[in-house]
Amino acid sequence: MLTELGDEGVQILAISPDSNERSQELAERLRARYRFLADRDLAVTKRYGLLHPRGGEKGQDVPVPATVVLDRDGIVRWLTVADNYQVRPDPADVARVVRAIK
Amino acid sequence: MSKYGPALVSVALSLGAIVGYFSLLRVPLIRNHPLLYIVAFALAAAIAAVAALRAPRWPSLTALAISLALLILGSYFNFVMAKIPQSLIAARVGQPAPDFTLPDAKGAPVTLASFRGRSPVVVVFYRGYW
Repeated sequence: MLTELGDEGVQILAISPDSNERSQELAERLRARYRFLADRDLAVTKRYGLLHPRGGEKGQDVPVPATVVLDRDGIVRWLTVADNYQVRPDPADVARVVRAIK
Repeated sequence: MSKYGPALVSVALSLGAIVGYFSLLRVPLIRNHPLLYIVAFALAAAIAAVAALRAPRWPSLTALAISLALLILGSYFNFVMAKIPQSLIAARVGQPAPDFTLPDAKGAPVTLASFRGRSPVVVVFYRGYW
């Protein structure tokens, strides 16, 4: 998704419990409009109902992988929640949704 | 086919599935069909089992053991470890998303509502720790 949505005039906010300095460097090198946000205590993850208790490799709490697309008015237009963490949304699908909004 | 043929085919299929899974993770089609590697392991086990039944020699028996072990491990990973319990996401299509403010990688606060009237936003929750 990093590059496929790069020029769509869309802001991508990527949320995880990590501090993400290295991810942000990578995104800037790829000129992708990613901003990596640190949800250290998973408060936002919980507010979104996306906590996967002890789901991490080391038994730590992690977010359920999910993608939410908002239009310019902040209204949810599309969302997907993973039920297997190997599977992620196809970037082309997300790009299509974003293009339909504009 | 030589007497080692089916065993070699079986092992090659198993190894191909492993290499394919790890090197093609970036290809959405492969990544989003993790069952493919389990099907490959099962096929490898079936080939080795047929060969072992016809002539129980060490190559086909070894191939059978390898593919069965991979089939069990792969199934455990895909059906147990990688499964995520059903979650009730608090966002609904057609409704505003819950607002939040979080620090970016440089520590600057970012508020979801600040993008209103400016651009569409894609919010991605991911596991981190990779």
